[in-house]
Amino acid sequence: MSTAVETHELTKRYRRATALTDCTVTVPEGRVCALIGPNGAGKTTLLRILAGLVRPTGGAALVLSGEPRQDPAFLAEIGFLGQEIPLYRRLTAEDHIVAGAHLNPRWDAGHARTRLADLRIPLDQRVGELSGGQRAQVALALTLAKRPRLLLLDEPFAALDPLARRNFLAALTSAVTDAAGGLTVVLSSHLVSDLQRVCDHLILLAGSRVQLAGDIDTLLAEHRVAQRVEDVALEELILTYMGADAESAAHLIATAGEES
Amino acid sequence: MTSLVWRQYRAQAAIASVLLAALAAAIVADGWQIASRWHSALAGCSGNGGCLQQTALVNGVMSDLPYFALIVPAVLGMLWGAPLVASELEARTSDFAWTQSVTRTRWLAVKAGWLLLAAAACGGGVAALTTWWSGPINAQSATAFTPGQFDTQGIVPIGYAVFAMALGIAAGTVARRALPAIAVVLGGFIALRLVVANVLRPHYLAAVTTYFNVTSTFTPPGQAWVLAQGGVSPTGQVVGRGWGDLEPALPAACQRLLPGSPTAKNGASLNAVFSCMQAHGWRGFVTYQPAGRYWPFQGIETGIYVLLAAALIAVTFVVVRRRDA
Repeated sequence: MSTAVETHELTKRYRRATALTDCTVTVPEGRVCALIGPNGAGKTTLLRILAGLVRPTGGAALVLSGEPRQDPAFLAEIGFLGQEIPLYRRLTAEDHIVAGAHLNPRWDAGHARTRLADLRIPLDQRVGELSGGQRAQVALALTLAKRPRLLLLDEPFAALDPLARRNFLAALTSAVTDAAGGLTVVLSSHLVSDLQRVCDHLILLAGSRVQLAGDIDTLLAEHRVAQRVEDVALEELILTYMGADAESAAHLIATAGEES
Repeated sequence: MTSLVWRQYRAQAAIASVLLAALAAAIVADGWQIASRWHSALAGCSGNGGCLQQTALVNGVMSDLPYFALIVPAVLGMLWGAPLVASELEARTSDFAWTQSVTRTRWLAVKAGWLLLAAAACGGGVAALTTWWSGPINAQSATAFTPGQFDTQGIVPIGYAVFAMALGIAAGTVARRALPAIAVVLGGFIALRLVVANVLRPHYLAAVTTYFNVTSTFTPPGQAWVLAQGGVSPTGQVVGRGWGDLEPALPAACQRLLPGSPTAKNGASLNAVFSCMQAHGWRGFVTYQPAGRYWPFQGIETGIYVLLAAALIAVTFVVVRRRDA
């Protein structure tokens, strides 16, 4: 199986802080990978490096066998959706769909329109006037319309209520199913319970370092053997591997259910 | 890319078009009146220079209309240039724009390209209107080359507009925020205009100095730009035009001929003073830029602003390509 993402000792230092230290991870193609960690763990930085928005200060990243770069062919393979749901608030969803067709080589406008119509999201209303959940759906539909091979989502449901969150996850799951192995997703969130439903791979970041990474089932099985227990929950596993940062891990899991 | 730029700017373009159309209507309406006053003066005065000079052409408040050729460029730089990159970074829409299948270089080239073109068109349009509006005034007083008028006519407003837009784009990109960039455009545009107009412009080409007998007068032909004039003593001492400066420099024999008060205007006595100065070897001088240099100066000044704009845009490209988003 080929790899969608491969990083080697990836490091990003800002003037005052280090966002990412010696991050070495691999995500096989076709996986849905959860990127978990407390605030400031480096999740956003990792995703932005993979999308080519931020340059690492050390190490290397390979995304779909190439370094993230300013090249239309590379950019066409990447779907990125940032935390702030970056859309032009004065433009309508339809404006975005039409503009996107001019900006991307394999733009699926029809699919985006159908999806938004199914969700009863008005195409002709300014994006700034939509609810947070609708806006996130518009942004996801636009990101998927690009037909990317790697989808990078940075806390896309941070601002969503539970229902909107479920719709969003359903949309994501069906996109992965439709792509039949041709779509890899890396998805960061605080919400472990939501991630558990859709993800089969895990990267755990804390204090700018990778604490745990791999296939979720494999990780759980290893943990069962090591701890000599019958069953283990993902949340427990995460708690164990947060190590030095156990306190924020506990907070992460305790608030996971309530956050909206 | 053009599709996205158009969608982003169509509302602003519509507002700007309405405002510029209103400005054009005001300039055309007033210009028509000025032109008709000038034509009736030409007919009524039948070649009498004094009569033509005394005709009032411009109507009070409207005399400020040409300054829109300076205001429009600055406003465009502040309202369109400063937010061009900065507001995308502020609203994080750069995340959307920079993760489409278009490189940042192309994104900036198309976006900045259209706005620089829009600035040049607006600057050029307003300049064309004010140049036409100023036609009769130029004919009456031959002042098109003098500071103030030179800046609002011809092609220099195009250079100002392109520069102000480029300054806004570059400042917004470096500062990452639109508001400080707006301040930079306002301050930078005014400062550069002052420096260029007062310090550089008089020296684009070496000025011409003409000496003449103090008993006669000399006026440079056409719409020349007079930089300095006055008298030169036989020892090379240069004195400006005012009597206050001239009086102590005069030889004692000539000072005696001055009327009781140095500023008193008594034609006969002053002619005696001039004759005395002539006899003592004084000459009059005028330093000026000849009328024929009007268009070369317009070209040089426009070139300076366009080159500065190009440098600012080059910096913007480097920053946009390298900056982490």
